[in-house]
Amino acid sequence: MLGISQNAFGINVIVNSSVTVHTISRSELWRVYAMRTTVWPDKQPIVVYVLSTKSPTNQQFCKEVMKIFPYQLERIWNKLTFSGMGVAPIVVSSEQKMLEAVAKTPGAIGYVQGSGAMKNVNTIKVEG
Amino acid sequence: MRLTFILLFVLSFLPTVGYSKSGSSDWQWHGFVAQGLIDVNHSNFVDNNSGLSPKLTELGINSSYNFLSNVRVAGQLVYLNGGRRYAEGVRLDYLLLDWGIFNDANWQVNMYLGRFKNNHWLYSNTRDIPFARPSIILPQSIYYDGFRDIAMGGDGGALRINYSDDKLGEIDFNFSSGVSSINKKAKQVILSEYATGDIKQSFDNQASLYWRPNFSAWRFGLSMLDSNFDYQRGAGADLFYDGVFAFQYYTMNAIYEGERWELSSEIHHQHFKTSGFYQSSYVKTNIGQGAYVQARYKYNNDLTLLMRAEKFYLDRADKNGSKLNAASGGKIPRYFGFQNDLTVGFSYDIQDHLRVQFEQHWVQGTGRLSPTVLPNPQINNREYWQMWAVQLMYWF
Repeated sequence: MLGISQNAFGINVIVNSSVTVHTISRSELWRVYAMRTTVWPDKQPIVVYVLSTKSPTNQQFCKEVMKIFPYQLERIWNKLTFSGMGVAPIVVSSEQKMLEAVAKTPGAIGYVQGSGAMKNVNTIKVEG
Repeated sequence: MRLTFILLFVLSFLPTVGYSKSGSSDWQWHGFVAQGLIDVNHSNFVDNNSGLSPKLTELGINSSYNFLSNVRVAGQLVYLNGGRRYAEGVRLDYLLLDWGIFNDANWQVNMYLGRFKNNHWLYSNTRDIPFARPSIILPQSIYYDGFRDIAMGGDGGALRINYSDDKLGEIDFNFSSGVSSINKKAKQVILSEYATGDIKQSFDNQASLYWRPNFSAWRFGLSMLDSNFDYQRGAGADLFYDGVFAFQYYTMNAIYEGERWELSSEIHHQHFKTSGFYQSSYVKTNIGQGAYVQARYKYNNDLTLLMRAEKFYLDRADKNGSKLNAASGGKIPRYFGFQNDLTVGFSYDIQDHLRVQFEQHWVQGTGRLSPTVLPNPQINNREYWQMWAVQLMYWF
């Protein structure tokens, strides 16, 4: 199944085709990336992928899509990782690798610049 | 030994609490390496000899393994060398079993069993993580290095309940109950080499509550701690007597995270009751208080500037230490009753995961120099002292 572009020139949030969610609110997306919500509504575990904090796409994703600052998320992840209280998202080195990881991982969520069209990857709409 | 029993006990119950696992990336590895130089003038904060010291080494490695979708094992080993600030050596920072009891769009409930790390103060769980704390030396009024190994966590259990929605925002509640083992090196940091007996923490219960209004840049927190320590004097020559230390500690904090500016403040109020120890009939309760205000300015993605002012006194009935001086017959200078610190610094990211950090401290008073039970006015013979530190850090 090919992904459907919401915004061919901006950032799109992508999920594995096993995810049945088609829209997500900005605050729900924040909770997923802050590792506060770790399962989809059908109880499938969420696997969160990110690009490196300083990559332009990540900066744009944080500021324009979630309307927060990248360091806020990084701080939450560091606290979780180095206190043993939780796990951080998985960092991938490029948008191509992000697409491939989301395509092959059930429950995965990520983001890319542009359409994000790929087999087993769906684009979801961010509201709010 | 106690830790092993806890883990074995919990592992035997896993099949009844987990649900099936799916997804990838069950293993995670992270770590850090940091080495610095610290130059302290006119105090024995790091060494009995003032001057430049390389005793600013911090190494750590941690791992987490998900063997069921809601059950995880995680552990971290660290090696620290901070001179006299805390015991030099390797320690198991945490080794815990994390059971995700419940999770949905609004609630997240987790229980941690084993050796857990405290999560109650603003920087308590990242105080020894060089790249995740605001400065190399944290405000000693709250993050007193002498108590580092005790304040870091404990062997027992912890509970974390997070709630989020679009009206209330994020509400986080943490509770922990567990005790810390105090080895010989740590005992000497706290009680001096002249205490030849054993000190044990008999209990330590802590709770904290945090609130971030929905999508707010502000977050507010409260915490409380109740703990007791027992000291049994050594069989041979011991300068001290049997004693009990009862400790209650309350904090309030606020943090603002803006695009360029970040502001934070923590206020604490402590009751410290000593029964015995100095003499068998000795009883005294000190009510200490402290606070700091910190500003960080993110000049760009790589450079962050730091400014901080901190104030602390051991006894609010003796803020300038004059009663302490009088009670000791003039042997302990009054500046051992307080410690104030003015700090400026910066951190610069050379590249992703490689940072250099620098700071300068102007300190007035010696109330947070270890061991506080036995002040050393011969070496610490000045009310005003200074230090600077620089540290290079890498993490993955």
